[in-house]
Amino acid sequence: MIPFIAKRTATLVAAVAVSSFAVFLIPYFTPGDPVRKIIRSRVAGDAVDNGSVQALGESLGLHDPLAVQYFRWLGDVLSGDMGLSYVSRTAVAGQVLPALTVTLSLVTMALGIAVAVSLPLGIIAGLRPGSAPDKTITAVTQALIAMPEYWVAPVLVLVFALKLSVLPSAGWTDLSSAVLPALTLALRPISYFTSAVRAGIIDAAAADHVPAARARGLSHAQSVLRHVIPNGLVPLSTLFAVWFAGLLGGSVIVEVIFAVPGMGRLLFDAVINSDIPVAQGGVVVVVALAVGVTTLADFVHRLLSPAVGGSLA
Amino acid sequence: MRSFLRPPALIAAALTLALSGCGFSGTQTQAGQAAATADTNQRIVVDNFRAPVANWALESDAAYILSLSGCLETLTSYDQAAGKVIPMLATEWKQSSPVDWDFSIRQGVSFQDGTALTAESVAAALNHVLDAKVPARAFNRTMISNVTAVDGQTVRVSTPAENPLVPYRLASVNTGILAPAAYKDGAVDPFGHCTGPFTPVSEKAKQSLTLDRNEHYWGGDVQLAGAEVRFITNGATRAAQVQTGEADISLSIPVSSLSTLKSAPDVTVLGADSPRTATLYMNNGRAPLDNVDVRKAIRDSLDLDALAASVYEGAALPATGPFAPSEPWAGEKSEEQKQDLDEARKLLASAGYTADRPLEIIAIVERAEFADVAAVIQENLKNIGIPVTIQSKEYAAAEPDVLAGNYDMLLSQRNRLIDIADPIGFLTADYTCAGTYNLSHFCDPEYDRTITEAAKTVDTGRRYELYAKAGKILKEQAVNAWLVNEQATDAARTNVLSYVQDPLSRYVLTAKTAKSGS
Repeated sequence: MIPFIAKRTATLVAAVAVSSFAVFLIPYFTPGDPVRKIIRSRVAGDAVDNGSVQALGESLGLHDPLAVQYFRWLGDVLSGDMGLSYVSRTAVAGQVLPALTVTLSLVTMALGIAVAVSLPLGIIAGLRPGSAPDKTITAVTQALIAMPEYWVAPVLVLVFALKLSVLPSAGWTDLSSAVLPALTLALRPISYFTSAVRAGIIDAAAADHVPAARARGLSHAQSVLRHVIPNGLVPLSTLFAVWFAGLLGGSVIVEVIFAVPGMGRLLFDAVINSDIPVAQGGVVVVVALAVGVTTLADFVHRLLSPAVGGSLA
Repeated sequence: MRSFLRPPALIAAALTLALSGCGFSGTQTQAGQAAATADTNQRIVVDNFRAPVANWALESDAAYILSLSGCLETLTSYDQAAGKVIPMLATEWKQSSPVDWDFSIRQGVSFQDGTALTAESVAAALNHVLDAKVPARAFNRTMISNVTAVDGQTVRVSTPAENPLVPYRLASVNTGILAPAAYKDGAVDPFGHCTGPFTPVSEKAKQSLTLDRNEHYWGGDVQLAGAEVRFITNGATRAAQVQTGEADISLSIPVSSLSTLKSAPDVTVLGADSPRTATLYMNNGRAPLDNVDVRKAIRDSLDLDALAASVYEGAALPATGPFAPSEPWAGEKSEEQKQDLDEARKLLASAGYTADRPLEIIAIVERAEFADVAAVIQENLKNIGIPVTIQSKEYAAAEPDVLAGNYDMLLSQRNRLIDIADPIGFLTADYTCAGTYNLSHFCDPEYDRTITEAAKTVDTGRRYELYAKAGKILKEQAVNAWLVNEQATDAARTNVLSYVQDPLSRYVLTAKTAKSGS
């Protein structure tokens, strides 16, 4: 247990350090002057006064060597201060935490929908591999992978907001406003989850202990409920964690289309505007959460999976 | 989307077009329902295309949001229809010396926190903007030296040199006046500190600003109970919201949504010339584009009608020069630039251009349509024997080379009135020899003399004549190829009353803006 936690903590620290440094370097390794980008994010327009560029660069410490800037930020973070946004001059934490709350809600809803849909579909398909329902489910869920979010989202708006007038087209006000973005985000996980559950069920059904259970007198339904389905769902825990981690910062298209003030939009805007403290603060939080969630999933997987024998070493 | 249209939608669209005058030109007013009466209990929802990013700092574009929301007011305002500066929080102004302008502050005005608007509070607010780290384009220490309260009723704005445009500068939203209590701890707090018809009461970060009616507004009864201004950066979403009725007014509708909205029931589409012209910038400082005949040949080869009809789907008009025809400084009505391939080939031959010097167009990716525009231009230039390659780049990536003169042609567009409602800043920065944003690397002494004279000319009519003369020089020299005049397009529900479209989206909610109950 302790070596497992220690190993994962080291992973977390390394991941945060590498990703925050990579984010820190983005404005310097993409074309254009970072200070001009910051100014343009405050005042739309192309012509930027050179005096303003110089003065703002000085006041933000952007003329210091990169290593100095990075370690200054790192020191502040270690003392619990994520600093001020270059663009708004407000606390980074005050921007990151509300956005994170929104994204956590959205991602939880999306993956909740995905699990609710993919569990029955995957089980039906896995229990009768090669049957007509299996082929239909596989074909439909595979098709979902090919539907990009920027296409799905307007179609859902067209149907549910414009045609049926049952859901709002955008915004983040109440539960109803979360339905379309969550549904859009859920489509691809539905496909992957269904596929994983199906494969898990097929593997579990083929395991030696299932005929043994039948030999002990369990009915087919009982053996499926006690041995096939629980073991078949183990791979889903890891996949769920991977998607959860990925969507924390990766739902930018959906957040823009549906005007959701989440982490994806925050990080995207921060990178575009060279708002390094917000980008770094956001990435640190997302990476930490992602590592935390995948660690938890590994933990659960190791406890449940017969293949790794419940080992946490 | 079209599959959902019903016949009444088409009738409504026809009525809409009839009401809105069909074409695009100057500012348009939401005709609304002539017989409908305002229901003063109604609230309104406006979808705006940008969100405040700088914590309401007035020197930033956040000032636009406060102004369009009916919160922030300035000493003067710009009457788009009349083309002149009119009183707002100042009742009158005069140039008391060549470098001083005195503004008389309107009496009886209170901030929304109950404190009185005074000359001292105005001077303090303006000095706060002057002292910003990233100064406002319209109002900074390069053109304003000081702001002082002369007496309880008069504010003096002093300039380093004679400057006839100070009243225009004080119409800029960046010079909005807030109560002294709004400025604390280096930040700006507009809540309860404006003078306008609407008081901001709550904000959902990056989502919306909610406002209530200012019951004590100095400018008369406010016709709406309140408003919500939403920050919706995606154009298609803004269009969808006005179509569903979730929004009453949606600003800056993208071209791709126009046909749907024009056919939608209960929606009026309003259009006006924007101060933006899509332009093919040409590097006048480098061969072969340093030869005016080559530039003219390029201009003559372009089929602007086809460009406007195809890429812009008719939502932009072919340009006739550096200004939109409806602008008061556009001068005599110019004829449209017609494609003349024979003349273009002749000019090219006389300039000695040969195809072994291909040209490159940089199309900035921030404007998605420029990729298609570049392709059309590439085809047009091929017809006269100029091989063209196209590079798609982010503007920030292209800027260093463009400013340094290491490029051939750039597809971009500029807002001529980005700082004040007068093109002097644009004409100076973009085309004078010492211009700080002279992408064309154009330099002409006569042009510079004209602009220098205009910058000192108080008489508006005379100044506009000089701008027209400057525009004529740019056109004669074919400095750039001006392609299409872009349109500012808003959409409003038909029960919105007295909405006057502002192409720059400075003034959206006013005391007169109203909604009928139906």
